[in-house]
Amino acid sequence: MTFLIQQTLLYAVPLMIVALAGVFAERSGIINLALEGIMIFGAFVGVLFVRLMQGNPAIMGAFSAKQWVTLQGLELLAMLVAAVFGALFSLLLSFASVNLRADQTIGGTALNLMAPALVLFLVRIISNQNTLQMASGDAASWFMIKKTTLGFDRKADLGFLGNTLLHQVYLATYICIILFVVLSILLYKTKFGLRLRSCGENPQAADSLGINVYKMRYAGTTISGALAGMGGFVYALTTANCASTGDVAGFGFLALAVMIFGNWKPGNIAGAALIFGLFKCVAASYPSIDINGDGVYLLAELGISSHLYRMLPYIITLVVLAFTSKKSRAPKAEGIPYDKGQR
Amino acid sequence: MNKTSKLLALLLSGSMMLSLAACGGGATTTPAPEESKAAEPAQSQAAEPVESKAVEPAEKTADDIPDNMTSADGKYEVAFITDVGQLKDKSFNQGTYDGVKLYADANGLSYKYYQPANGDQATDDDRYDAMKAAVDGGAKVVVCAGFMQEGALKRAAEENPEVPFVFIDGYPIGLDNVAGISFQEEQSGYLAGYAVVKEGFEKLGFTGGGGGTNPACCRFGYGFVQGANAAAAEMGKNVEMNYSWEYGASFSASPELQTMANGWYTSGTEVIFACGGSMFQSVSAAASANDCFVVGVDVDQSFESDTVLTSAMKGLSSAVQWAVAKVYDGSFAEIGGQGTALGAKDDAVGLPTATWTMETYTVAEYEAQLADIVSGKLAIDADYETGLEQDWSNLKLNII
Repeated sequence: MTFLIQQTLLYAVPLMIVALAGVFAERSGIINLALEGIMIFGAFVGVLFVRLMQGNPAIMGAFSAKQWVTLQGLELLAMLVAAVFGALFSLLLSFASVNLRADQTIGGTALNLMAPALVLFLVRIISNQNTLQMASGDAASWFMIKKTTLGFDRKADLGFLGNTLLHQVYLATYICIILFVVLSILLYKTKFGLRLRSCGENPQAADSLGINVYKMRYAGTTISGALAGMGGFVYALTTANCASTGDVAGFGFLALAVMIFGNWKPGNIAGAALIFGLFKCVAASYPSIDINGDGVYLLAELGISSHLYRMLPYIITLVVLAFTSKKSRAPKAEGIPYDKGQR
Repeated sequence: MNKTSKLLALLLSGSMMLSLAACGGGATTTPAPEESKAAEPAQSQAAEPVESKAVEPAEKTADDIPDNMTSADGKYEVAFITDVGQLKDKSFNQGTYDGVKLYADANGLSYKYYQPANGDQATDDDRYDAMKAAVDGGAKVVVCAGFMQEGALKRAAEENPEVPFVFIDGYPIGLDNVAGISFQEEQSGYLAGYAVVKEGFEKLGFTGGGGGTNPACCRFGYGFVQGANAAAAEMGKNVEMNYSWEYGASFSASPELQTMANGWYTSGTEVIFACGGSMFQSVSAAASANDCFVVGVDVDQSFESDTVLTSAMKGLSSAVQWAVAKVYDGSFAEIGGQGTALGAKDDAVGLPTATWTMETYTVAEYEAQLADIVSGKLAIDADYETGLEQDWSNLKLNII
């Protein structure tokens, strides 16, 4: 059970935060199709940052001296750098769709095409192959929080909650969850959030009340870019051993699906991401999942083909979308460039 | 709209067009750009810093020799065609290329690697293009890594009968200028399986690359099972092994593989034999998270991670040097057109005793075991197709 929860969170959290990135853009009226591209770019920047910092003797010293606080700080810093570069990258989209009133779908697609090409190009220059890895060690030994990190004995039993939440986890996961909550509150309970959402529903009305629609849309897309960039790095760190390959396994597009599936609402999105993460985890590790801890691996003993398990996440997405899409309602003005002269 | 924004619009749309055009170009497989692509890295990346400096300066190791060198006349005598996966996979490709580099460096020859286009989806045509680029680039010997090169090799070797080809992990293909070199991986796998069970581990795992179609990985796996079973029988206990080809069909690391390995470790598996190139990254990350162990493959991978217990090695580097030397001393005809299987008797397979972290199983026990294999007293079956799914006396095999 502990294993199932932890692995589900590893898959669900990047999806959740990137889907929220989509919400911020779409609620302000911009379709951010570029989530995938921004994730790829953010993952690359974050991994590169970690790699460069590993060249610093002070950081290597902190690692060999097991100064976990420094390493967790490095992780947070890398997330921040990935977020900043994700935001910068998304400015291309904002500029094209706000200032130039270009078609947002085309702009997003262009970024999606550009990001992997650019990243692979840079990765090849830097590391002379198609994968950019950490300079030394692996993500788990550098950044994972374990019992031993927190000063407990290796064999110590922290109880169910302790074992699940404090052992073999990444700080990034929790930071993302906190950010998710804070930003959801920002979107629904603050003046800024209300203004942002109004720009995605009826920008003309918002403008008539003195809200600068362009600024709001820039804000929405930039927050979106920052979250997607960070989400990309968190994905690379927690599930891909801190490596950048110009690919995030389609998680950006999945996040778009999760966003639609969650009806552009944070609560539903969190649920949708967890469902998807759960089935993704089941697909990859069903023979080792012991649901109630009695040593019986039920899923393996059912004797169902592994291919079925691997299809599950996608089948579930299709089924749920089929049932929920009727009710789903996109922000009204999304995808339409705002033109002051139009009424 | 003012002038500046129009100009910007033009620039932006221009850059978008460019990126679109670049993607279009990459998807179609015209041989011409591939050749130029293959020819370029040597010049542009010659200044690439060596990634990890070896600790001891006394002996020159492969890592001290740069991957890209620039020859004065633009010709490269010793060419290497990579298998799928990365050049720096810290395993098969890298180990083979180390042999190329060491021989070339020691003899003052020019050398170069060619990576077939389209990465993991490389076709015979892509590999042929790489081989042709190598021959056109002045190669006097072409080292090809991986059994998947066969189709391309047939065509390239037939068209260039004067150029000797060394086919690593290969077999004779009916052409006199192709030397097939294979390894008795089952012996190496056996030694590793025997060692980990003797060390005291009872729940093992094996995850192999190539989706079960790669003969080398199959032999490694089959040997590993035999070794584990033999050791368990000697010790009178029962061991269990998870055995999977599920992930890593292209020998690459993936989140799914990492999750699967995580699951195995969580449910009690103590050591996993990660048999395939970059798959090591995923498995060692999972091992590190769970404070468990990994058995490396092909080359000594103990430098990659503290989780490495030992590595099932095959002497890629020395085999390449041996074969390339045959080309230069004029005795290539001895191995050309034939298949050479290198095993324990040729000192081509084994475990790295100097770097392993075994505590119970001793080097002396290992040496004795190895001597039995060399003398032929202990024969290890290589017929994985019929042998694997038998009733093992002391081993429960869960094929996943």
